[in-house]
Amino acid sequence: MTATTVDHEVSPRSGGARHYLLGAGWIRALWMSALFAAFGFGLVVLLRWWGDWQPIFKWTPIVLVSILVCAPLGFLAGLGTFDYWARYAIGSPTRVDDHSGHGATSWKDYFKVNTDHKVIGVQYLVTTIVFFILGGMLALLVRAELAKPGTQYFDPQTYNGLFSVHASLMIFLFVIPAFAGLANFAVPLMLGAADMAFPRLNALSFWLLPIAGIMMLSSFVVPGGAFACGWTGYAPLCSTHQPLGAVFFNQGVQWAGASSIMTALNFLVTIITMRAPGMTFWRMPLLVWANFTTSLLVVIATPFIAGSQFFSMFDHVMHTAFFDPGNGGYALGYQHIFWFYSHPAVYIMMLPGFGIVSEVIAVFSRKPIFGYRLMALSLMAIVVLGFSVWAHHMFVSGMAPWLRVPMMITTLLIAVPTGIKIFSWLATMWEGKLRFNTPMLFALGFLSMFVIGGLSGVMLGAVPIDIHVSDTYFIVAHIHYVLFGGSVFTIFAGMYYWFPKITGRMYNERLGKLHFWLTFVGFNLTFFPMHLVGMEGMPRRVADYAPKFASLNMFISLASFGLGMSTIVFLYNMITSWRNGPIAPSNPWRGMTLEWLVSSPPPTFNFDEIPQVVGSPYEYGVPGAQHAILAPARATEVEEVTVP
Amino acid sequence: MTAHAEHLPHDEHHHGPPVPHYSSRMTPAVLGMFLFIASEIMLFGSFFTAYFFVRVVAGTPWPTPPFHLPVFVAFLNTCILVTSSFTIHWATTSIKRGNVWGLRAGLLLTFLMGLTFLITQAIEYSRIGFNTSDGAFATIFFCLTGLHGAHVFVGLSILLFMTIRAFRGHFSAEHHHGVEIGGIYWHFVDVMWIVVYATVYLL
Repeated sequence: MTATTVDHEVSPRSGGARHYLLGAGWIRALWMSALFAAFGFGLVVLLRWWGDWQPIFKWTPIVLVSILVCAPLGFLAGLGTFDYWARYAIGSPTRVDDHSGHGATSWKDYFKVNTDHKVIGVQYLVTTIVFFILGGMLALLVRAELAKPGTQYFDPQTYNGLFSVHASLMIFLFVIPAFAGLANFAVPLMLGAADMAFPRLNALSFWLLPIAGIMMLSSFVVPGGAFACGWTGYAPLCSTHQPLGAVFFNQGVQWAGASSIMTALNFLVTIITMRAPGMTFWRMPLLVWANFTTSLLVVIATPFIAGSQFFSMFDHVMHTAFFDPGNGGYALGYQHIFWFYSHPAVYIMMLPGFGIVSEVIAVFSRKPIFGYRLMALSLMAIVVLGFSVWAHHMFVSGMAPWLRVPMMITTLLIAVPTGIKIFSWLATMWEGKLRFNTPMLFALGFLSMFVIGGLSGVMLGAVPIDIHVSDTYFIVAHIHYVLFGGSVFTIFAGMYYWFPKITGRMYNERLGKLHFWLTFVGFNLTFFPMHLVGMEGMPRRVADYAPKFASLNMFISLASFGLGMSTIVFLYNMITSWRNGPIAPSNPWRGMTLEWLVSSPPPTFNFDEIPQVVGSPYEYGVPGAQHAILAPARATEVEEVTVP
Repeated sequence: MTAHAEHLPHDEHHHGPPVPHYSSRMTPAVLGMFLFIASEIMLFGSFFTAYFFVRVVAGTPWPTPPFHLPVFVAFLNTCILVTSSFTIHWATTSIKRGNVWGLRAGLLLTFLMGLTFLITQAIEYSRIGFNTSDGAFATIFFCLTGLHGAHVFVGLSILLFMTIRAFRGHFSAEHHHGVEIGGIYWHFVDVMWIVVYATVYLL
């Protein structure tokens, strides 16, 4: 990548202290971050001195270049994500079949650069859960402040920072990457591939995530406090009227965005080029379809948020005039560019969940998925339509009025493919032999909650209602019904569903069900009343509110603490089950897709021979139906591997 | 970069991955490069959207007086970059026929022309007479040409790596994936410049 990394990569393979310092790992990551940061500092100071720009020591550009750009690159280089490419670049011979960084044998391997998609999947999931908890705590601080009218604990600027960082963490560091983590684990297995198409790129895209998350969180400790203009970062408020923390947000989004573009590219290439023989597009499990469509969205749309954050940051740091009307800029341009990404982004945060739910509902209803092809096509329809609705976020922004009605119509249209999916799931369950395990409960919770969120979405798509409730708690209720009741429920469904496959152990079913009911009830008690206060006109993103909303807000705050507590059950269940849970069989749910045909956890390279796919993945209840055949030699080996 | 697995026979079945099965005629690396370029086009797209907003919607005069753009120098620079597209094409066709010296000469020429382009642009920046903070016209000028310049820099780095490997004899008529993929990227950088030149300097 960078020419500067090249010099450091000639790491000796032997020799104690030298290897300790120069070999890929956390020690090298530490000193290389410092070295790169110093380089960035020197670069800015040198350029400012050379260009005679006063003052030479200006902190905004220095922090941006040295801390937010160079130091993370040094960290990545030190950790060893670029080692192979750097060796290739300087012309050293490279071994394409070198699998030294593949697979994990101890917990320490999870803290290294690993090329195994299963290890990376776990790295993703654990990291995102950490950020989920941190983001959740920020939400509880927000609710603590809102429990009573007036200001209790935080001044308005700090309060604004709390909800801004909460949303950014949940969106960029939890929902999007948690789906990427689940898919990372499941998709290559489902395709019958040994790994992703680009395993090293996969490792790099994971390690960008902690960087992005730490960047957003650390904006609390920089002078002036965190960015406080909401996760949407509207300009010119966020581009010129915010403290240094806004740059942390801009740059954090870039790292997270780069990570998701790389992952999406990897998924697309894997799905197109690595399918097992016999796995035609119309035999792919719907999770694979969902990630295929999501990845298309990411590759096409995410560069637009990168652009919007670049512009906003340049306005802040280099005093450009993208969004400065006094200087020839166009302030509304930010919202157009931002929402051209961020509306497709809501599908990026939902389509993989549709895939997970399709798997779970088919397996736990013991029936073929209803309307398989239409399910896949409706995903594609959502992708296409998703690009034509962005301005429904801007009905009150003062944009060209003629844009309103077309955007309203496309917004209402997008309910059609979504409705097809809802009815297909219902039809799949119709007269099925339902089993209410935790994944199924979460899938059903998703189904019911997403319908509510979807309906309030249709309401918001209608211009008059939108104008009435814009920037009220109705919006907050809507976004949480689709992102919590929708995405987060599907993430939980996926985590419970693949937990036996990932860890090789069963989770505790009773605790799982307890977690579901606590979450489901807590969620509704927290977010449903927000519709009511929103309709009444309580504005969002304000630390104080009118006394007439006091009792409902106290209720919401208390419920939100209950909802927060439910996460403890989840964590306890995950940790204890992973350590001491009963050993999982290779196929506890009697699923047909390929990941259930290998041991739990799967062998290091998934398959010894690439399997042959012979039929649809959802022929549940059809006698003698098979999705795939493993090579016969393989079946005996499965038994050997299952017993660790 | 090239995920082109050598299919060595595995003596022990337990420790190596299975022989991969490719379900597409396009190799993963080439497809990956095309998708990456699609993503890059969208990044440029967002910058052109900003250009559209500033120039068309906000109606900023182009170029905003008293500034003017060195159209002729940039035209010469364009010619250099377009020529480099032909030399990289020469390099890739050479290696496909097994002509190692054609590859080396082609890569080296392309690299030198790309470097000339970048240096010319740097000199243009220093003599242009305005700065990023001089209004929306200057903003768009610097950001569009700067974004493209960053891509030229990345393309040059790739060319440099390819040249090093070419001179160390890593490419042959059968093994030239890296050159091909680097070549695709360089063509993209060239075509993008034509669009940038046309919109920023000519229109």
